[in-house]
Amino acid sequence: MRGFAAFVRKEAVEIVRTWRIWVLPGLLLVFALTGPVMAKYTREIVGAAGGSQMAAVIAGIPIPTYLDAYAQWIKNLSQIALFAIIIIYGGIVSSENKSGTAILVLTKPVSRSAFVVAKALVHSAFLALTVLLGTLLTWGGTSVMFGAAPAGPLFAAAGAWLVFGVLFVSVMTLLSVLVDSQAGAAGIGLGVYALVSISAIWEPVGTYSPAALAGRPMAIAAGQSADVTWPIASALMLSVALVAMAAWAFRRKEL
Amino acid sequence: MTAALEIRHLSKRYGDKRALDHVDLTVEEGSIFGFLGANGAGKTTTLRILTGLAQPSHGTVRVLGHDVAGAGNDVRAEIGFLPDVPGFYEWMTADEFLRFAGSLFGIPKRTLDERVRVLLELAGLTGVGTRIGGYSRGMKQRLGVAQALINAPKLLMLDEPTSALDPMGRRDVLEMLASLKGRTTVFFSTHILSDVERICDTVAILDQGRVMVQAPIDELKARYGASKVIVEVEEGAEALAAEIGAQPWASAVEHPENGTIEVTVSDTTAAKRAIPALVAARGLALTRLEAGEMGLEEVFVELVGGEQR
Repeated sequence: MRGFAAFVRKEAVEIVRTWRIWVLPGLLLVFALTGPVMAKYTREIVGAAGGSQMAAVIAGIPIPTYLDAYAQWIKNLSQIALFAIIIIYGGIVSSENKSGTAILVLTKPVSRSAFVVAKALVHSAFLALTVLLGTLLTWGGTSVMFGAAPAGPLFAAAGAWLVFGVLFVSVMTLLSVLVDSQAGAAGIGLGVYALVSISAIWEPVGTYSPAALAGRPMAIAAGQSADVTWPIASALMLSVALVAMAAWAFRRKEL
Repeated sequence: MTAALEIRHLSKRYGDKRALDHVDLTVEEGSIFGFLGANGAGKTTTLRILTGLAQPSHGTVRVLGHDVAGAGNDVRAEIGFLPDVPGFYEWMTADEFLRFAGSLFGIPKRTLDERVRVLLELAGLTGVGTRIGGYSRGMKQRLGVAQALINAPKLLMLDEPTSALDPMGRRDVLEMLASLKGRTTVFFSTHILSDVERICDTVAILDQGRVMVQAPIDELKARYGASKVIVEVEEGAEALAAEIGAQPWASAVEHPENGTIEVTVSDTTAAKRAIPALVAARGLALTRLEAGEMGLEEVFVELVGGEQR
């Protein structure tokens, strides 16, 4: 347990002291800061770019509200942030195998399960903090741009998406144990994302499974009612199962 | 004496390739054990199995009395390990890495402070505040030895600990390992014969996944190390070599080169008496007659050399 705590601390400090602190937070904070501005001035931007030829198009764009800023934020999370998670965490375990650092750690009193669980926990917490900060900035920016910015839909949508994000941290933890190449794991991860998104079309899957979290947060952000109790519960259970499988597979892996 | 390491019928296969073939090995507590072998002999594979990083295909391995297959944190808490190419978190400094390594063992802060100070000094890294990413291979190797000692292990296992070091670094590491004799069991693999000869009390020679021999060094030399006599004459070396080869005390004669004849003898005294007489009888001019014991290098070459080539 002492080894586990020390390794958790190392993972957390490593985020702060390496490129990890810049990539995902940098990406999300840029979107959080620019999203409300883009939502507010979409008509003006299109007009400036297209001139008089775009007049008809601009006329068709509805007057933006705070919901557009919220939708922009959740869309960025659902697409770009998720792709970033898949690519970054393709090497969450395998990079330590490749660099030889895993060997020095795992020949000390740290079990392989603790190694995998610590990584999944710390990086899920890191994702949660980043999403929370980005959502707060989006909320503040929306409030400045639109005046009214009720917190409920935004935080509910971001919370639902966060569970989906954590699920993909778990997926990538397992893939990174099974596949030695970071690019290979990321490629499979993108394939998993595509499958999950497509499978949500089938109603039972789209209602109860984690696949619902690919689209429902957008609906919540847009102010529509969408029940995500089952998808959240199943996603959390699946995340735990995936990390447990990753730990099991890692215990059997030769280093 | 009890065994710190016990390996029985250990085999390891990678597909069709047999990396280890029924290896039997016993390392007594407190000894400094040299695990000798050429590159690719199976030394690293053995160490990976000993540390639980790889699984044996067949056989058993006991580390400090525990079966390594089911060994957990309790066993790992008592060993120190340095891989052949140690990988570090390059964003850390040496001080930070040693503290991190110590924290994995749950070493109390005051003890850890003192050990980090001593080990940084030992590794020649005191006051080096740069990140490990900027270190030379030698600096990393010395830090690797230091981290393997952070828990004051009962059993220290090192894979080629001196291969990346300059002569001064090698001497320091070997002296440090020698100083552990009697307190810590040291098991280290190497292909540098002089390192083994310098500090080890026992040696095993591994070749193509098989242990050719395991014995105390002195016994090994006595068993395999028939004495050698070097004879050098100005001319007529070839005929003289043939005549020496026919003597009852000569077990092998190397082909002469530049007038030099190398004779492996079973009775050094008889050889030293007879050779000058043989030279004189042929009217040759003797320029050198030198007798000495075979070193570990010759024993190693004798045991594995033929199959290597």
